[in-house]
Amino acid sequence: MGELSSFDRLTLQHLNAAYNLALWLVRSESDAEDIVQESYMRAFRGFHGFSGTDAKPWVLAIVRNTAYRWLSNRRRSANVISLDEAFGGPGEESVESQIASEDPTPEAQLIGEVDRGLVRSALVELPPIFREVIILREIEGLAYREISQVTGAPLGTVMSRLARGRRELRKTLSRMMDKDKPHAV
Amino acid sequence: MRCDQAYELIGAYLDEELSGGDRTSVADHIEFCAGCRVLIRDIKRTGKAIAELGRKPAPPTLASQIRSLLAKEEQEHAVKRVVCWRMPPNIWRQAAALAACCLLSVALTWGVMTSRGAVDQLQQEIVAAHIRSLLQDSPIQVASSDSHTVKPWFAGKVDFAPEVNDLTAAGFPLLGGRLDYVHQRRVGVLVYRRRLHTVNVFMWRAPGADDAAPTLANRNGHNLLAWAKSGITYWAVSDLDAAELRRLQRLL
Repeated sequence: MGELSSFDRLTLQHLNAAYNLALWLVRSESDAEDIVQESYMRAFRGFHGFSGTDAKPWVLAIVRNTAYRWLSNRRRSANVISLDEAFGGPGEESVESQIASEDPTPEAQLIGEVDRGLVRSALVELPPIFREVIILREIEGLAYREISQVTGAPLGTVMSRLARGRRELRKTLSRMMDKDKPHAV
Repeated sequence: MRCDQAYELIGAYLDEELSGGDRTSVADHIEFCAGCRVLIRDIKRTGKAIAELGRKPAPPTLASQIRSLLAKEEQEHAVKRVVCWRMPPNIWRQAAALAACCLLSVALTWGVMTSRGAVDQLQQEIVAAHIRSLLQDSPIQVASSDSHTVKPWFAGKVDFAPEVNDLTAAGFPLLGGRLDYVHQRRVGVLVYRRRLHTVNVFMWRAPGADDAAPTLANRNGHNLLAWAKSGITYWAVSDLDAAELRRLQRLL
């Protein structure tokens, strides 16, 4: 029972982080619950392979992989491709280049403070590979090195995904705020 | 540094993830670029708003659900470990069976070659000695039907004093005695006659050996009767039939 208790001590303190990441990726509370459960079972089975001291990136990496598998199964069974779930379909490269190749019009700046409800909607509009790095950075406060551990992407890719994600977010927010306050400008 | 380059790095600059050279370049750029300063403000505002969203906490039952699943998993794992130990996978069982067969085969062969082989070899030697004695002019070195002649003749030639009986009255006249060499030792031989058949009785000392009832064997048409009595091993061999050989053994 020693293995189980040390697993409990090291990993269950990150349960809220795990649930939150799953929820941001699959956008369904019941799915997120299932994903987190499955992830902890997977983590326990692979626990002998964990040698670090900080289990957070390790647990989150398993949650992330489980969530993406979930998304790709859901997409396949629903046979519907939404922007949200496009990841895993045409491949992550094309999603990234698709955004990168958009014309570099000067980005509208944000007028006034950012409303929480708006930022939530704007995050939902982001493709998951950009959404996840922003969540891991702004909510979980992970360092780039840790984000790289969670996503399995090299450090440089983490940096560029964050940069592009933030620019997209800014554009979307600006559009939303314009709509919200048509007379503000 | 141009604005588009700075755009790529400003986020990392704010996150304090840039190393020396890049950090200085970005810092220099934003000092003179109002647009990038606005970008920084927006990134900070947005980041603050996201951070304020916070985590949506996991349902309170999730932790206990996971704990009970883990406990079940751990238990099944423990059971599986025991089962694995008790019932090795097929391949191991097969390998173990094969190894056991090999060992058994080696042991049996060795046993047969050593024990049965020794008896076999002795029988062969005795039959050969018997036949050789018949090929010679005479199977005996001391010719006498008188046991009191034959018995002293053996003295000093073999390491025991053989029982020598003349059995003429019973139809087994004593021809005499000789020395022979079987079983890697010098042995005494008494030679009896039954009608036209010659019987060689080989004798040697077997210290500590228990008395043994006669056992009959047949080899190339010769009957062999082996027994032990009072520390002496006897082998009688002849082309006489088994029943008559047994009779001689009883008389001796």
